[in-house]
Amino acid sequence: MSGHDTQPREAALLAEYQAAAEAGILLLRACQSCGEAHVYPRPHCPLCGHRGTEWRKASGAATLYSYTTSPMLPPATHYAMVTLAEGPTMPTIIVQSDFEALEIGQPMTLRFTKGPKGAPVPAFVAPASLRAEAYAARVIAEADAVPPGEAPALAQVAVIGGGTMGQGLVSACLIAGLSAVLVDRAHEALERARSVIAANVAQAIDKGKARPAAAACLDALVCTTDMAAISRADVVIEAVYEAMALKQEVMAQADRFARPGAVLGTNTSTLDIDAIARATTRPGAVVGLHFFSPAHIMKLLEIVRGTATEPATLAAARALGDRLRKTSVTVGNAFGFVGNRLMIAREHHAAQLLLAGALPQEVDAFQTGFGLPMGTFTLQDMAGGIELAYRQRQDTGRTDWLIDRLFKAGRTGLKSGKGYYRYEPGSRKPIPDPEVEALIREWSAAEGVTRRPIPPAEMHDRLILPMLNEGFKLLEEGIADRPEDVDTVWLRGYGWPAWRGGPMYYAQQKGLGAILDRLTALQAQEGEAFRPAALLQSMVAEGRALFAPSPDAA
Amino acid sequence: MADTAYIAGIYEHPTRNAEGISTAELHADVAFGALADAGLGLSDVDGFFCGAEAPGVGGFSMAEYLGLTRLRHMDTTETGGSSYMVHLSHAAQAIAAGKCDVALITLADRPVAGKAGPRLAGVDFSLIPERHFQPPVPPFPMLGYAMVARRHMHDFGTTSEQLAWVKVAASHHAQHNPQARLRKVLTVEDVLASPMVADPLHRDDCCVLTDGGGALVVVRAEIARQLKRPPVRIRGTGEAMQHAAGGRADLTRSAGVRSGAIAFAEAGLTPEDIRYASIYDSFTITVIVELEDLGFCAKGQGGRFVADGNLIAGVGRLPVNTDGGGLCNNHPGNKGGMTKILEAVRQCRGEAHPAVQVPRHDLVLAHGTGGSLAGQHMAATVILEAM
Repeated sequence: MSGHDTQPREAALLAEYQAAAEAGILLLRACQSCGEAHVYPRPHCPLCGHRGTEWRKASGAATLYSYTTSPMLPPATHYAMVTLAEGPTMPTIIVQSDFEALEIGQPMTLRFTKGPKGAPVPAFVAPASLRAEAYAARVIAEADAVPPGEAPALAQVAVIGGGTMGQGLVSACLIAGLSAVLVDRAHEALERARSVIAANVAQAIDKGKARPAAAACLDALVCTTDMAAISRADVVIEAVYEAMALKQEVMAQADRFARPGAVLGTNTSTLDIDAIARATTRPGAVVGLHFFSPAHIMKLLEIVRGTATEPATLAAARALGDRLRKTSVTVGNAFGFVGNRLMIAREHHAAQLLLAGALPQEVDAFQTGFGLPMGTFTLQDMAGGIELAYRQRQDTGRTDWLIDRLFKAGRTGLKSGKGYYRYEPGSRKPIPDPEVEALIREWSAAEGVTRRPIPPAEMHDRLILPMLNEGFKLLEEGIADRPEDVDTVWLRGYGWPAWRGGPMYYAQQKGLGAILDRLTALQAQEGEAFRPAALLQSMVAEGRALFAPSPDAA
Repeated sequence: MADTAYIAGIYEHPTRNAEGISTAELHADVAFGALADAGLGLSDVDGFFCGAEAPGVGGFSMAEYLGLTRLRHMDTTETGGSSYMVHLSHAAQAIAAGKCDVALITLADRPVAGKAGPRLAGVDFSLIPERHFQPPVPPFPMLGYAMVARRHMHDFGTTSEQLAWVKVAASHHAQHNPQARLRKVLTVEDVLASPMVADPLHRDDCCVLTDGGGALVVVRAEIARQLKRPPVRIRGTGEAMQHAAGGRADLTRSAGVRSGAIAFAEAGLTPEDIRYASIYDSFTITVIVELEDLGFCAKGQGGRFVADGNLIAGVGRLPVNTDGGGLCNNHPGNKGGMTKILEAVRQCRGEAHPAVQVPRHDLVLAHGTGGSLAGQHMAATVILEAM
């Protein structure tokens, strides 16, 4: 049907309208006679009938006329009408804004977003989101600011363990122009690692993201089974399988071969740094270097301070983070450190929601709707979480009704084509699976739970509030020094939406009293997993704020 | 309107899911049903009216399929759900103008069996000039109505409980209608407990999705007097269209403000004269806005007006949609105008279910809103009188 898409007048106006949109400008059409602006451009004025109009740039300021949200809309999108400062009311979408906090008549700001076909479409955000984004940008910038004084010199990094994490770490070092040594027990692993690393570095060079020395560093990369090769490294990082005995053994060997003054880093994501440090003769040089996979891409480094870790070690770790262009946050030594502590709380409660009546796709849809990049169960499937959870539990004797059955059914995640979801060959798109649904129903029945629909508000309270509560506990335990640190970790490492500021910022916005009330009610209903942190209780009792002064005072 | 046009025959298709029945067959079913009700045959029909869901170009194919050979007037105006109030008005005008004597109006579609969902059939949305400037959201009507509801709540303090009363009333009526899609009597709490589909609208704030249809036979006064069924006169009609108007529309006021005023003026009546009203109920909010716009209550008072069972026959002041309406009974082809007229005619004839028949039924009204209350829509009002 030629002609349908090529109406000449509409096509001409649309081309100019879209070109402006690409530049972030919303064009209105204004009458050359009555001066009134209208949306959806026409060559005549629909208000006075004059046949002559011209473009007028919208200021981007508007007020909210009405709005709705619906499961039928894309995640984190609300349908709305806004009244532009120029007069007309237009249908639009609201993005990156807290739906619960919207009020008719409130100001809104234009922000173009990508439509389904990739073209920019005019959307609006709430001013609260702009303030949260400003806060997020500020705390990240503060974390990224290079500490005063001379940074410890770094030339060579040695990585022990050629798995995915080791490959990423070596890639990151080479891209940053550091020379690197990779040690692994198996020749095959080293060969595989070298080719992956070469590809990673080549890609970074192609994208212009590598330092000039990267190519030369790649040529000079030493991949060896000989631990003695680490003897010239300034930083040694072990990245072997996450098991205490193995980590201790590897660190003891590193201790033997590393030069005096070298930093001994462990890339554990949950284990006790002090226990690992005790395997060495120099616990003051041991530090947790919690990188995120893929390490040459992900932006966060949690520097984990052990009891004995010396300031010089921390300074060197920080210098490495800066050199690798990571956002470094120094945190205390406790299970899961900062980032994973919140994550583990969320995952625990996500599983409990399945037991109570939700399905994986519903829990995940809530999370993406909240603005998180990926839901719990999609993430678990991608990261092989079922297998990891199963294997890590084997020496403890503990069982997990659902995970044990998923694992034994070969449902280990994306790699095996099925986990919490099923996957078509070659596709990463999670497809809800009736088999899993049946298993979850069986679980509820076995636990004597009468399944019920879980409304979004309850999902919010049972998934998000425990994360915030965990943040308070981290502050209380001194694992996180400041609320800003918790926020930085989740903004940079876990995809917390900047328009929600960060978990602790979000807690402050929602009101500490309200959060305490909800947690207390959930504790009564659901049990101790929801017990409010002592710090949260005392802050509410004393009327203290998390941030002083309020982060959006400006 | 002069004493010229009468509704002589009506028919509502009993199906709500037309699996195995074609759209053309459905049109034939309702056409024959309404003609039989009137005591007329195909050969009597000289005016034909249908909407865009009818297969074929305009009314061509259906005229041939049905076997209408005497047509001298045809009108295929499409205004969405209000098409049938418009057709009724146009038929009365054509009869008054001497352009036809026996007009047949049919609606039939199968969006359930055909898996088409809640959108209008026979419309090429790719051609509309404003589409490139609309936000990228799926074309679900409930999204726009939800915005109307929220704005109405904001401006007038309307509540979700008040919206729910509209559904509760429909469910009270539907229990007496064996063909109704939903027959369970609901409470306000039931409605509020149904899932949120487009905040603040719950699933139970939305009409049903059904197949089927209905038909009307409209005839000249002289013919009506020779027929066996109780004559129902078309006393007044009004139509009005509303759209975004360059971005100046008020979501809480529909074109019903004008269509109602025109119809009441033509009938020489006021809302106080009306004993029964069929009010278009695509969503609960639709009813509230329309009752205000038609003048059954002041603007902003619709929520209070519908509360506490005021729309329930035998309970409230203004029984509305006593067949269960689109909310519980039938919304064939996503166009609820036909069924609104059918129940208004039943009431006017005194042939509604005894449990819901209003005692005084000399003057009734049927009102439709076709398109979207939140954007382009045609409101059409008809006032009928038992003779």
